[in-house]
Amino acid sequence: MVNYIIRRILQSIPQLFLISLVLFLLMQAFGDPIASLGVRTPPKPADRERLRRQLGLDQPVYVQYVVWLAGNDWMKIDMDGDGVPETPGKRLGVLRGDFGNSLINKRPVSELVTERLPNTLLLMGVVEIVIIVFSLAFGVYSAVRQYSLFDNLFTGFSFIGYAMPIPLLALLLMYLFSINFKEWGLPYLPTVGMFDPQVGRTPGQIALHMILPVVSLSIISIAGYSRYVRSSMLEVLGLDYIRTARAKGLQKHIVVIRHALRNATLPFVTLIGLDIPFLLAGAVLTETIFAWPGTGRLFVTSISQSDFPVLMGILMMTGLAVVFFQLVTDIAYSFLDPRIRIA
Amino acid sequence: MKRNLYVLLSLLVLASMVLAACGGGAETEPPAVSTEPAAPEATEPAATEPAAPIQSGIAVVTFVQQPTTLSPLYQTQWFSSITTQLWLKGLWSFDSDNNAIPEIAAEIPSASNGGLSEDGMTLTIKLRDDVLWSDGEPVTANDFVFTYEMFVSDKNVVSSTYPYADYVTSMEAPEDTTLVVHFNAPFAAWLTTLFNTGVLPEHVLRPVFDADGTLDNAAWNTAPTVGVGPFVFTEWETDSHLIFEANPNWIRPAKLQQVFIRIADDAAQEVAILAGDTDIGTFLDWSQADAINSSGKATFVTQPSGYDEGWFLNFDPETAHPAMLDVNVRKAIVMATDREKIVNDLLGGLTAVPATFWDSTPPYGNPDISPYPYNAEEAGSLLETAGWVDSNGNGTRDKDGVELVLRYISNQRQLRKDVQAVVQQMWGQVGIGVELVNYGDDFFNSYADGGPIATGNYDIAEWSDVTSFPDPEQSSYWLCSQVVGPDNPDGGNWQGYCNPELDALFDQQATETDPEARKQLYYQIGQIMFDNVVWVGLWKDPDLWAVSNRLQGVKFSGASPFWNAHEWSISE
Repeated sequence: MVNYIIRRILQSIPQLFLISLVLFLLMQAFGDPIASLGVRTPPKPADRERLRRQLGLDQPVYVQYVVWLAGNDWMKIDMDGDGVPETPGKRLGVLRGDFGNSLINKRPVSELVTERLPNTLLLMGVVEIVIIVFSLAFGVYSAVRQYSLFDNLFTGFSFIGYAMPIPLLALLLMYLFSINFKEWGLPYLPTVGMFDPQVGRTPGQIALHMILPVVSLSIISIAGYSRYVRSSMLEVLGLDYIRTARAKGLQKHIVVIRHALRNATLPFVTLIGLDIPFLLAGAVLTETIFAWPGTGRLFVTSISQSDFPVLMGILMMTGLAVVFFQLVTDIAYSFLDPRIRIA
Repeated sequence: MKRNLYVLLSLLVLASMVLAACGGGAETEPPAVSTEPAAPEATEPAATEPAAPIQSGIAVVTFVQQPTTLSPLYQTQWFSSITTQLWLKGLWSFDSDNNAIPEIAAEIPSASNGGLSEDGMTLTIKLRDDVLWSDGEPVTANDFVFTYEMFVSDKNVVSSTYPYADYVTSMEAPEDTTLVVHFNAPFAAWLTTLFNTGVLPEHVLRPVFDADGTLDNAAWNTAPTVGVGPFVFTEWETDSHLIFEANPNWIRPAKLQQVFIRIADDAAQEVAILAGDTDIGTFLDWSQADAINSSGKATFVTQPSGYDEGWFLNFDPETAHPAMLDVNVRKAIVMATDREKIVNDLLGGLTAVPATFWDSTPPYGNPDISPYPYNAEEAGSLLETAGWVDSNGNGTRDKDGVELVLRYISNQRQLRKDVQAVVQQMWGQVGIGVELVNYGDDFFNSYADGGPIATGNYDIAEWSDVTSFPDPEQSSYWLCSQVVGPDNPDGGNWQGYCNPELDALFDQQATETDPEARKQLYYQIGQIMFDNVVWVGLWKDPDLWAVSNRLQGVKFSGASPFWNAHEWSISE
């Protein structure tokens, strides 16, 4: 087992290098961060040239990549524009834990990302729990009561839910529960943000502001995931050992939950395992629509500003998490299914 | 296993909930408002100012983009620069009519009060002696000199060194309330460019600069706990909100207790305005006016900021349609276009047609010029005089075998496509044919990639453009020396227009330091460009705001929108 883990970790190192190289090259297509500066009008040519030089954007791509990776404290930069580099660089590079600074607000990327993580984890954690609980509940119930009224209704609804684009759903919910409910004098939900400034940042406010984003984010996944649970439950429920368990005289809920569900959830665990890294990346659209200050919004903002050190930071963090959680998922298999042995 | 997973996830959620509830964003210190009455300046009663009112109420402002930084040195975007009016005043601000209003300066320098030297090379600015930083330290001329030094220092990667590196030779502070600025030539735009995004606190930032060798990474840039304005910065949680609390030390105390800036995208902003959850909405679109005005929660407000939607015409004889080079044809094109109808039908009549490029930059628009009226008949006879008649009966005028079909281009914005379609119909009635083309933004605006405007692949191009508001300067668009080409890729004149008479006036205004005389020069410039139909205004393109009905006293300004934030108040 330990050997297996070490081997997987070693394999992931070149994998991550390759990811970083490809991403870095792709970043070049994002456009010129200097061109998107400008208070009212684009920067003047002299300012543009000076900024490019001072930020190191005038260097060839491979030099920029090496600086990103290994820092520039071993080389000098031409800050005053006389053609002679004189100021020693200060960056340590990703290999030494320095993801660089944002081109736009000059703050360290690691600080920007870790500042958002709690907000994103909170939102996405709740979403994931809601998804797991409701997908299992609906999926199992539908399977056990196959072709019942509930099963048919739920199947219908899940197709509608699955086909619903998140931005549309989110806006519909906001108009209904925030604007219309307020007009009709009903208890209404807040629109955007994490709390009402008139009340302040309290856990109650945060919970209230989470309702709409959580519902928007989870409906679609519940619709999809419960179909997986339903079909794998149906498959398992038809197997011999379930009939044996029933024949032993076990109560129905014990058969369903302890015997059938445990085996039926294996594909579901894979799905959830793949989901977890994206918990960190946040929900790009939903966080933007509900003005939820998570990593997803940071990503969107950074794209619009071509702020590629921040984009690289978020993408590498997500990449690292994907590699890590895939390993965790593989290990979790061996616990859930005794037939799988990791060697 | 699964139960453990639930426990783990629940713990994770609880932990992040606690973190999120406690997290104060970038800043955790309390606001640096001085509570001690120690500073002698603070205790002296300010005779001309009323007693501080009791502050109450929170105004929620929505920004559809996150400010990039707060420091004036590094500001790269409009949302960053407009916040400074809340917490970091400069020498003066501009009111709704673009008049300069003294802030830290005691008066606006002029030739008559001795502030501006006769040769226009030296500016002497008197400062108020009763202005304090929010921490109680006095604001002096040395703070301005320090700000200038930081702008021109090689050690700081500032967003722009203009106008300090280009026009200022030195600055000095002979006494605490006197700032002297020396220019290398008479510099017309001093009023609109010097310290227009505030002044830096030397007592806070000098030690940082000395220690780090740069201000690039100063914590103050994103958490400026010391400022000088009606409010003090207290908190910025990126992509969520910024909080500014009333600053009792400012010379004009605020009526509000807090300004809360929430960062949300356009769709979220609209919902928040309609639900009454925001007091000021920014960067709105014309199409949102109806919904906002009929919501009963807020009002749609326009404020000129120098922008006008208009036509830039191709004057390059090598690439333009030959008809474009005839002023009578250009006049006919304008008179064949019912611009009033476009404004009424497509923009709800919420704006007006400008006659010159400076109509939205008061006071530089010539009040004696009114836009060419819509007159299809007159347009037809102008075309006939110019020799453009429909000789082959195909419905389109022609001359010497060349059909009068003009290439009218723009980007992908729907409003512009609608305008193009309407114009096509109007011109059809007078026999002008049109080829409509719409490009992606990047290509449309590019020179390096051979975009259509840069290469002259157009006759008429439509976009919204601006002066150096509140300054009228934009001469590079029409100077002969700025005509773009392989030998001058950074040139600003993409139309290929060249008129020595206009050049002379543009050169003259650039060094005319007397605002009144400069205004007269712009009246002449406007007249020449109007008579020659060099630029055609479609509609004034002001900043579009929404203000909730509970927020009172808001007067916007194009240059410094939040200039009167101290007068805002909440009425429930």
